[in-house]
Amino acid sequence: MPTLLLTGANRGIGLELMKQFTPLGWTIHATCRDPSTATELRQIADGAGGRVTIHKLEATDHGQIEALGKTLSGAPIDILFNNAGVMEAKQRPYADMAGSQTIDTLDWDDWMGVMRINVMAPARMSEVFADHVARSERKVIAFVSSIMGSITSTTGTWIHYRSSKTAVNMMMRSMAADLRDRGITTVAIHPGWVRTSMGGPTAAVAPEDSAAGICKVITGVTPAQNGHFLTFDGKELPW
Amino acid sequence: MPTLLITGASRGLGLEAVKQYSTAGWTIHATCRDPSKATELKALKGVTVHALDVTDFAATDSLAAKLKGTAIDVLFANAGRSNPDAAQFGKIDYKDWLETFTVNTLAPFKLIEAFIDHVAASQRKTVAVVSSIMGSMGKAYGKSYPYRASKAGLNAALVNLNIDLKPRGIHFLMIHPGWVRTDMGGPKAHIGAEESVRGMRAVVDRASPGTSGHFFQWDGQELPW
Repeated sequence: MPTLLLTGANRGIGLELMKQFTPLGWTIHATCRDPSTATELRQIADGAGGRVTIHKLEATDHGQIEALGKTLSGAPIDILFNNAGVMEAKQRPYADMAGSQTIDTLDWDDWMGVMRINVMAPARMSEVFADHVARSERKVIAFVSSIMGSITSTTGTWIHYRSSKTAVNMMMRSMAADLRDRGITTVAIHPGWVRTSMGGPTAAVAPEDSAAGICKVITGVTPAQNGHFLTFDGKELPW
Repeated sequence: MPTLLITGASRGLGLEAVKQYSTAGWTIHATCRDPSKATELKALKGVTVHALDVTDFAATDSLAAKLKGTAIDVLFANAGRSNPDAAQFGKIDYKDWLETFTVNTLAPFKLIEAFIDHVAASQRKTVAVVSSIMGSMGKAYGKSYPYRASKAGLNAALVNLNIDLKPRGIHFLMIHPGWVRTDMGGPKAHIGAEESVRGMRAVVDRASPGTSGHFFQWDGQELPW
C-alpha cells in the first residue's frame, strides 16, 4: 500500500485526513508538535494495526525535519502532504483574531512567524523529503494553500495570512518546475472555508467533507496537474 | 513641485530615479544605509539624504516623525535584495530567506504604514513598490525560491491593502523594473537603468483609481499575477 507523510495531523483538516486515509489501508507517518496531547490521533494510530506512526515535529525547527528525514531514510513516500498552517503565528482563539492583520494592526513578528510556519517549513519539508517522494509510485507533493492566497479573488484584510498563501503558491510553482524532471507532481490545495479552530464556527464546509474531497483530489492527481492550484472539490483556482 | 520619498537611493535604480526626479525639479527625500558613501546621490539638486536601513523599523518610524507635516506625493519603496546563490532547491538558505522576506515584503509595508498619512496629505497620493516579474505565478521557471516568494507575497499584501484603504484615495502600484543592468541585474541584463526609470516614472504619472492595485511592467504593460 502507498505511504502518506502528513504534517499537522492532530487536529482540524489534518485529523480528518487521517480518518480518510487510515481506512484505505495506507501506511501513514503523521506529525504534530505534541503527540502527548493528540488524543484522537493516538486513538487512530492505536486502531491501525501498526500502519500509522506518529512523529513529534515542530516544523519551524529545520533540524527536526532533517532528523525525521533520516528516521524515514529509504522509505518511499507517495504523498507528502504539507498541511500544517496558521492564520496567525500567535494562534489566539478564532473570536479574538477579528480585525487582525490590517495596516493599523500589522504585527511584524507575527507576519514573519506566519511566513516561517506556512511557507518556509513546507519548503524545508519538501527539500528533505523530495528523495523519498521520488522513489515512490505516486510521487506527489501537496501544499495546503487557500483561496485567500488567490490575488484575483481577494477581498482585503488578513495581510500576513494572505501574503503567506500567495507565497506558498509561488513556491509550489517553482518546485513544480524544478521537480518535474524527477517525475514529481506538485500541487497546492484550497481546503475550503472549513469549520475548524482556524476557520471558525460559521465556516461553510464541514471538516469531513473537506478532507474527503482533498483525499479524492490528491489520490487522483495526474502529472498534467503539476503546478496547479486546486480546490478540495477538484476545481481550478486562478492566481 | 511634488515631493518624492525613495528608499535604496544610493545606487542602481534608486539612484537613477533620484537623478530623473531631480532633473524634473521635484523635492526629494532619498534614503540609503550609509549616506557617507553616497557621494553621487548627495551631489544631486533638491535632494535631502537620510540614513535608513529599511529593516530597522524603529528608524523608519523616526524618519516619519522627522518628516511629520511634509506631504509626500510619491512614496517609492525601491530597496530590495536577491541572493540567487542561497535559493536552489535542496540548498535553500533559510536565514537568507528570512532576510529576503524582511527587506522585500515586510519593509515596504513598514514604509507604507509609517508614511501613509504623509501620502494621504499630498496631491498625487501615490505609492509605488518595486516588485518583479519573478513574483508572477505564470512566469515561475523554478529556483529563486526566497526572491519569488517575497515578491509574490508583496503583491498579495499590496492588493489587499489597496482594497482596505480604498476610501483614502491612495493609489498603490506594483512595478516590475525589467531586467536592468545594475549590481543586482548584472551586465547581461536587457535594459539600462535610465530607460527602466523613465518607464516607471510614466507608470507613476498615470496613477489613478483605475490603475491602483495593478501590477505593471516598466514599459506600462500590465502583468498577470
